[in-house]
Amino acid sequence: MSEIMIENVTKRFGNFTAVDNVSLTVANQEFMVLLGPSGCGKTTLLRAIAGLGMPDDGRISIGGHDVTYLAPRDRHISMVFQSYAIFPHMDVFDNIAFGLKMQKMGKAEIQERVKQAAEMMHIEQMLDRFPSKMSGGQRQRVAVARAIAMQAQVLLMDEPLSNLDALLRLEMRAELKRLLAELGATTIYVTHDQIEAMSMGDRIAVMRAGIIEQVSSPTTIYDFPANQFIGGFIGTPPMNFLHGQMQRQNGHSVVRIGEFDLTPQPLMQPLLASYDGKPIVVGIRAENMETLSSPAEGALRASVLVVEPLGSQNLLTVKLGDSQMKVSTHPDFTTQPDADVWLRFPADKIRWIDPDTKRALYPNA
Amino acid sequence: MTTQVAASPKPRRPQRQWAPYLLILPSLIYLAIFFAWPMVRAVRLAVWNETALLTLREEASADSSPAGALPQGAQVILLDRQSNLAADGGSLRTGALTETWYRVQGNDPDGNAVDGWASESRIRVRRTDEQGAPTGGTVRPRIGASADPLTSIFAEPNERSQVVGRLAASAGVQIPEQAILEVWFLIQGEDGAETVAGWAPSGNLQIYSSGEIGRIDQGDTGQFTMAYIQRMVNDRFFKPAMITTFLLMVLIIPVQFVLAIIMALIIQSQIRFNTWFLAVFAIPLAASDLAVGIVWYSIFTQGGYLNSILQTLGLIQFPQPYLTADTRYWIIIAIWLAEVWRATAIVMVIVVSGLQAISQEVLEAGEVFGAGLWDRLRHIILPLLKPSLQVALILRTILALQVFAVVIALSGGDVVTVLANETYRQYYTLRNMNVAAAYSVLILLISMVSAIIYLRMVRSNEEAAA
Repeated sequence: MSEIMIENVTKRFGNFTAVDNVSLTVANQEFMVLLGPSGCGKTTLLRAIAGLGMPDDGRISIGGHDVTYLAPRDRHISMVFQSYAIFPHMDVFDNIAFGLKMQKMGKAEIQERVKQAAEMMHIEQMLDRFPSKMSGGQRQRVAVARAIAMQAQVLLMDEPLSNLDALLRLEMRAELKRLLAELGATTIYVTHDQIEAMSMGDRIAVMRAGIIEQVSSPTTIYDFPANQFIGGFIGTPPMNFLHGQMQRQNGHSVVRIGEFDLTPQPLMQPLLASYDGKPIVVGIRAENMETLSSPAEGALRASVLVVEPLGSQNLLTVKLGDSQMKVSTHPDFTTQPDADVWLRFPADKIRWIDPDTKRALYPNA
Repeated sequence: MTTQVAASPKPRRPQRQWAPYLLILPSLIYLAIFFAWPMVRAVRLAVWNETALLTLREEASADSSPAGALPQGAQVILLDRQSNLAADGGSLRTGALTETWYRVQGNDPDGNAVDGWASESRIRVRRTDEQGAPTGGTVRPRIGASADPLTSIFAEPNERSQVVGRLAASAGVQIPEQAILEVWFLIQGEDGAETVAGWAPSGNLQIYSSGEIGRIDQGDTGQFTMAYIQRMVNDRFFKPAMITTFLLMVLIIPVQFVLAIIMALIIQSQIRFNTWFLAVFAIPLAASDLAVGIVWYSIFTQGGYLNSILQTLGLIQFPQPYLTADTRYWIIIAIWLAEVWRATAIVMVIVVSGLQAISQEVLEAGEVFGAGLWDRLRHIILPLLKPSLQVALILRTILALQVFAVVIALSGGDVVTVLANETYRQYYTLRNMNVAAAYSVLILLISMVSAIIYLRMVRSNEEAAA
């Protein structure tokens, strides 16, 4: 069992609070991704878990043991660093074996474990090479092999793929996911790349300004963002936000956006009733709108500003009322700038956001 | 229209880049002037005797063909002498014998005008002009019954030239001109088993008082010699200087490295005032080594700070003498302390820059993968510091060989001596440039050899694997 519990952890650098009273529980063998823009405190939190920067406040326990003020080596963790941090003066074998040697493990067992780790990362051919003679991708593999050779219950990864080129990153992403599923270690993976987070994590903890905004499975985070920030941070293109005004028509709440009306789902009606006469933000994802080339019932007219054919989709930038939106259409949908398109908003895909708190509104949430 | 067949592309010669050469040129000039030239000069002084051989000539002239050579110091017999105008128009080497000849104009006993040259031994100068040049005189009379009453006047300032006339004793003459001649000797000496004879200028010879024998004082041709090096090795200060220099090296360098690494780790650590430490550690670097020596002298001298502190504390009754010939080890300890205090910061600066080059993440990786402070130092920090330590070691060794002012200040340079001090003594006190050069070449050799050894020994693993 190696559940990681983070309770009310705070870390300050001078006057700056990098991690602000954060609590998070990572289940045994879970793959948790810490996602957030740079400077949000995710790496600081990971380093606190690793023991590389003691928290100013709070408690961290691994597998039920309080490790808050233990040295890194007493926490039974292993780690992959952003810059790989492989030892430049050691060959690949010694790099992978370093942690094992520090544990005073027997020669034969070290040999065995290094071989196993190297085979998992497909670097068994270059055990006698030095890092300076290796490519970035190979060094990355060495760094991961060194971490998995420890066979620790907890594996911490600090943006391990951020220094690789795009193609290699795609490849390593899948490989890492398979490998980590195989290892079954409790993993905390820090990244600022939301695609990486979506594709790899069992759960994602989205951080901003030292605070965890939402902890959920990737699909939940994507479909039901807890607030406007998460909706705007996750997804390419990010969620569109339109500013509207709640109005009451025939006993129903209706949103007026410019010259158009949107009728919310019946499910949302009670929740939105309190916003009558007040402004509200409507969020919708680019791929969730139905795009028509001719006027239709319930469709809003928008004028096309930019057409970006991306192969798998055509991405339109349209002007709806006063606001711009990104709309993704089928690649066969043809239009051109300055033409008009008609958008239909499926009621169940619309997210309602309080303009003051920026929190998304969900029934019985 | 015919399609033009593309000519097979000639392999284009890469264009020569001149900029690097332009940049290298000044450094080459710099190297040549400030390194190569003095080094070659020193080596030459140490092993080359400029005046080893004297070339003998067929005739009494520097232009005549050589008849053999005799080594410096060889005993010679003088067979003949001759005076010649110096080959290069009068500039004579010091110690050369000279003869002055006057051009004289007068009348012989028959009343004929005579115009020719006579040696100073035959003419007495009676009148000179304002500059002191002779303008007139008389012919010296010869003493003795059998002596020729007349004096021969020659066509040229040479006794072998034609006689143009003869003047009576005490005859008055005009002196319009004078010439200074260099005396050459026909000498004969032994070079090994061979007997060599030939003419040599008097400046290179030392003539004994009998006037019949002499020795070669100074040769004109250089020759390789081990004499200066032998003299250096046989000097009574050579062995103590060597021993002290190496003893100081062995005592200073390891202590300095341990201290420097500790100081660098303090500066690099995250503790407060760490930059303040850097300034404090670096202060001794600003002091001149002689000043440092004097400071430590004032501590260790009999009435110095050390004794007064110990006395105040009641640890000793009377001042102890430290810097005396009987307590040589105290002098060594004082020099060692002064040098460690003075020059450790140089090593520290190099080590700090080396530490800064080590990535923080690499050290953290060591921490995460189970290395404690000592393991990190041994397995990560020290191996990664190797290049810096190598530079520092070479620099320190060279500087340790140059220890001088501190030794002079603390020991006066006699009780405890080092190689650099011996170089100075030979050059300045004993005025022996060649032996001083031999010492300096020895220091140069030790520096270079130790640098090569370090470079080979402390090669990084990566290079060894490549």
